[in-house]
Amino acid sequence: MTTVITAAALATPPAHDPDPSPVRLAARAARDCTAAAGVSPDSIGVLVNVGVYRESNLFEPAMAAMVQKAAGINLDYLVRPAPAAGFSFDLMNGACGVLGAVHVAQCLLHTGTTDRVLITAADVHPCGDATRDAAYPYADLGAALLLERSAEPGAGFGRVRQRNANGRAGTAGYLDTAAMGREGRSRITVTRDADWGVRLVDLATGLVTDHAREEGLDLDRTLVVTSRAAPGFREQLAERLGLDPAAVLAPESPGGPGEPHTAAPVLGYLRAVGADGGLPDAYDRLLFVSVGAGLSGACAVYRPQGR
Amino acid sequence: MPREETITAAPSGAAAPAPDTRSSRFESLGAYLPPHVLPTSALVDRVAGVPGLELERITGVRERRVYDRRPEAGEDSYGLALKAARDCLANSRYEAGELDVVVSSSITRFKNRDRFHFEPSLATMLAGELGAHAAITFDVSNACAGMMTGVYVLDRMIRAGVVRNGLVVSGEQATKVAETAAAEITDSYDPQFASLSVGDSGVAVLLDESADAADRIHYIELMTCSEHSDLCLGMPSDRTQGIALYTDNRKMHREDRLRLWPAFHGDLLAKLGRTFEQEEFDYIVQHQVGTRFIAFVNRTGEAEFGTPMPESLAVVEEFGNTATTAHFLALHQHLRAGTARRGAKFLLVPAASGVVAGALSATITSAGV
Repeated sequence: MTTVITAAALATPPAHDPDPSPVRLAARAARDCTAAAGVSPDSIGVLVNVGVYRESNLFEPAMAAMVQKAAGINLDYLVRPAPAAGFSFDLMNGACGVLGAVHVAQCLLHTGTTDRVLITAADVHPCGDATRDAAYPYADLGAALLLERSAEPGAGFGRVRQRNANGRAGTAGYLDTAAMGREGRSRITVTRDADWGVRLVDLATGLVTDHAREEGLDLDRTLVVTSRAAPGFREQLAERLGLDPAAVLAPESPGGPGEPHTAAPVLGYLRAVGADGGLPDAYDRLLFVSVGAGLSGACAVYRPQGR
Repeated sequence: MPREETITAAPSGAAAPAPDTRSSRFESLGAYLPPHVLPTSALVDRVAGVPGLELERITGVRERRVYDRRPEAGEDSYGLALKAARDCLANSRYEAGELDVVVSSSITRFKNRDRFHFEPSLATMLAGELGAHAAITFDVSNACAGMMTGVYVLDRMIRAGVVRNGLVVSGEQATKVAETAAAEITDSYDPQFASLSVGDSGVAVLLDESADAADRIHYIELMTCSEHSDLCLGMPSDRTQGIALYTDNRKMHREDRLRLWPAFHGDLLAKLGRTFEQEEFDYIVQHQVGTRFIAFVNRTGEAEFGTPMPESLAVVEEFGNTATTAHFLALHQHLRAGTARRGAKFLLVPAASGVVAGALSATITSAGV
């Protein structure tokens, strides 16, 4: 039994939207996933939202509950008891959120807790528009992945490897409540150490090298899907791993300036696979690699079904 | 939307889940309560907008613990969590370096006093400071069901055989919302009224694999009814400098919302071919919102299940509503004091904004407290 992606979708803020919301972006991607897979929203047993930056710096309820509502999943169990009795929560681990949620989803599917897990990843500047804050590095972008069990040997996600680098967090995102005045709903601070990019490359290189060795992975037939975690990250990672830079994918955000954040693995997946869900001929598998604040890193192999 | 932005691939064949052979258990619990006690009468005196507020009569909360502002006290959300995690590890057979997972689940995310952190995860920073260098780390956020959600996720990770053990921890500097409420509310129907009943705490639980049905989490099942996800919203205030919680109390605690637990739990038991009575729970722990709330939910359970409720364990009068930590603080305090018996069967019932409902059934026998 493995865990496979049965649908994936991106959502960019609509042009001239005066109030883009990560909830709406995540929910749109979620609805696109359930529609593409031809399944009812009420068949989703667990929704895990992994976005970090959110409207008004909301900290309660889970963003996932609001995404769940907007995606039409288990609205009111007393009125209409959905058999899957959908449950949702936020899983927050910076850039590694999607892979962390895949790790959890594997366990939820393996134990029969649910038949379908929907992961949503959306970040929007708390003021509603990343372009209004030059110091904020991320793009307003949302994405979703629908995961299910598959019996196909060799298909789907392999083991998710997660690792933290000891020491400084490298990069952090916070609201300084002692200096926010009445503007706390629209402010956010993102800091980065001078050497954070170098440390991210070190962490990712070690993670991939160890994973390849322990999993017996041939990197020559592997397309690496990662994020634009720091300037030059993609090129430096390719060089350190001895790979053709074309074998390391870190797409730009389709939704305007700023780098993709938690949605990056889904964006990379959509750019890596064809419309039929297959890989280019030169590759047998994807290797998702995420690194970010913590420093935290995660990686996992993915083999599309029927390949 | 461009066509390539959505991709689907039908599953090649429905695979059955693996046989469920493993279970988890509570291996140890730990807590940290700030020493400073704030009586409800003293808090009421600070609510300038509503003289003579009958807060204690309405909520049953007599006093609560409040964080120490001095940086050296280490009582921000992160510091409270760290102290609770250390207490839990002191009560455990495991060393920090042996932990496979650390999950932080607080609603309030203060570190370095006033910085409300969205990333990195508090769990990553806690694991680093505890010396849990081999642990997978992430935060879960799910309103007052946060720790319950952490336990749910960790239970599934242990049952799937992906990890052997893990720590779920939460530090709640919840009285930050009480400070804002005290400064801003103008009547007892104010949406910030519920913020006056909260208290600060840190709680941690360590789970590992169960080898004995007499020391086991029998099930933990959770559900979110999302229609009412906007009834309780936490965010920075736009009136004063502070964080605030706005709750539509009337709608949030309407009777039909309270019926979610018996409806969901009843359906779960029906699938298992059992009744509530047959579960033979010794104790029930409701979310510690207030004494009236606890009594009301228990009466609702009694009416819906048609059987008396087990003995209800509470700590709300002494510690207020401690948000994510409430159920596990109640467990910790009663197990430690001997007012809850070891070897007994406990039912924990979450009630959180989202709206989250569910049930955790566990026999707790050897847990270190």
